[in-house]
Amino acid sequence: MGLLLIMRFTLQEAIRRRLFLSVVILSTLLLAVFAILLNIAVNMVQPDGGTSSRLELLGAGVVVTILVTWLVYLLSSLLTILLTVGMISSEVEAGTFSVIVPKPLARAEIVFGKWLGYALILSVYTAFLFFSFLGIIYWETGYWPWQAFSAFGMLDLVTLALLALTTLGSSLVPTMVNGAIALVLFIGAPIANLVQFIVRVIPSTHVQSQAMQNVTTIISLIMPTDALWHGVSYYLLPNTATFLMLGLSTDSFNTPFTSAEPIAGALLIWVILYSMVLPSLAAWRFQHRDL
Amino acid sequence: MGNDNLVPAIEVKGLRKVYKQLVAVEDVSFTMYRGEAFGFLGPNGAGKSTVVKMLTGLVAPTKGSVRIFGQPVSAREARRRIGYLPELPSFHRWLEAKEFLEFHGRLYGLRGTVLEKRCREVLALVGLAGRDRQKLGTFSKGMMQRIGLAQALINRPDLVLLDELVSGLDPVGQRDMRDLLRQLKAEGMSIFLNSHQLADVETLCDRVAIINEGRILKVGAPRALFDEPLVLELRVSPINQELLHRLGLVALAVRQDGDTPCSLLIEVRDEEGAADVAAVVHECGARLYSLAAHHRSLEQLFLQTIDASRRRE
Repeated sequence: MGLLLIMRFTLQEAIRRRLFLSVVILSTLLLAVFAILLNIAVNMVQPDGGTSSRLELLGAGVVVTILVTWLVYLLSSLLTILLTVGMISSEVEAGTFSVIVPKPLARAEIVFGKWLGYALILSVYTAFLFFSFLGIIYWETGYWPWQAFSAFGMLDLVTLALLALTTLGSSLVPTMVNGAIALVLFIGAPIANLVQFIVRVIPSTHVQSQAMQNVTTIISLIMPTDALWHGVSYYLLPNTATFLMLGLSTDSFNTPFTSAEPIAGALLIWVILYSMVLPSLAAWRFQHRDL
Repeated sequence: MGNDNLVPAIEVKGLRKVYKQLVAVEDVSFTMYRGEAFGFLGPNGAGKSTVVKMLTGLVAPTKGSVRIFGQPVSAREARRRIGYLPELPSFHRWLEAKEFLEFHGRLYGLRGTVLEKRCREVLALVGLAGRDRQKLGTFSKGMMQRIGLAQALINRPDLVLLDELVSGLDPVGQRDMRDLLRQLKAEGMSIFLNSHQLADVETLCDRVAIINEGRILKVGAPRALFDEPLVLELRVSPINQELLHRLGLVALAVRQDGDTPCSLLIEVRDEEGAADVAAVVHECGARLYSLAAHHRSLEQLFLQTIDASRRRE
């Protein structure tokens, strides 16, 4: 089947490309450095091993988990953009499609095969990085987010949403333009949340907060990565019992960077549709494109 | 020529391609038969590559139709039977030669030992035996052309479309490719050859289409395409009035070369005419020192056709 052949070829290509290998090697080094530093830090704050120290460690574990997962979010998002920005356009520009497209397979199989290959490799990378960090944090602090798998699901949706955007972009515009668009949208996505936070903390601007909410929603619909990150951060929080034990309130996690509430169901459905419809549009565009 | 039963391999009808304001191809129609070697000639920008891309489904026609073995070019069954080598091909440089062929073979549905065997065969066929573990990134331009041909032949196609096959090849490589094409043709493969190398087209192709400014000017056998008399150069002595008179009766034209007194330039319709000329010289008691037929090359005829079409416009 053409789709599976193209998927396999894409995996092979991604693994052989120096970019991906470099990122994997550096990420592994990052994990090692993180493990060493966390071990040093934990040994500094846990000299007696008493109950209060264990609670401090658990609290630190929550914070470190969120910070480190944000790093995973950033790394996997940037890798998605770098790796897939020329998924179709670079092959068209290089002329390598000239010998593949005339073969007995549908053009849609080429697009979906490549999409599937990248989706797999990026999901595996994200899972490797995320669960490795969580494992290290658990080993050192004893904290493991009780909804870790939901958090990973959200992280993976970030990757798939970005992949959907770059897939469509690479069927429409040249590689460099696609990269610029994806980066600007990804980096620009948190702006609405930042402004909304500022509006919320200044009492005199409360009347405008509905308008701000609307802008945030529109931005989330166009580029849902930041909204998804907030969903990830929610799933990284401890359960209620641990919250009580730590003496923390959920409100303290409602910040421009984290959320104490899960992502809205409607937005989640939108992201799933977004991740499926954009590659389908890319396949349709590629089907009708002269090479 | 192997088109005795005249089964069409390619049928092109009323093909038109417009890029925004530019008409690249206009009302192109021709039929290429099974077992035939068909040459496609034209100057740069004539629309040759656009036609080839429409034959392979890379470009969609604005109007008109392309059928490969009776099926639309989009049909998988049709695509399964063709091999294609684009002009100046570009491949994934990180692949080894064998991996590259295996990938393309799999796209055609080849698997296992059949694929393995076919990879070895085509590598040997294009002169790259023993290079199966070499990365394409280290290949020279000529080797790229060879491996490109190998992928076009991996599925034992019934029809192979070659766009400027010998470009980038050194003289030895060009000769090897010509020999290989002759071999493939002898085996019954239909060959569509888009080429600037007119000598290749002349020696290999059964029929030729000449295209200029998006339109087909002529289609036919290379020689039959051009209604050209055969020019004979004679060295004969003595040249007298009787000889000139009798030669005038069997020839289309007789001219004396002013620079060399014993030399005549005679135009005849065909090779039979050449035999008549020799007989007349003998009957007139003159001595014939040489008789050479001057074929105008296909290149000259091609240029003449293109020039004539430009003058008409």
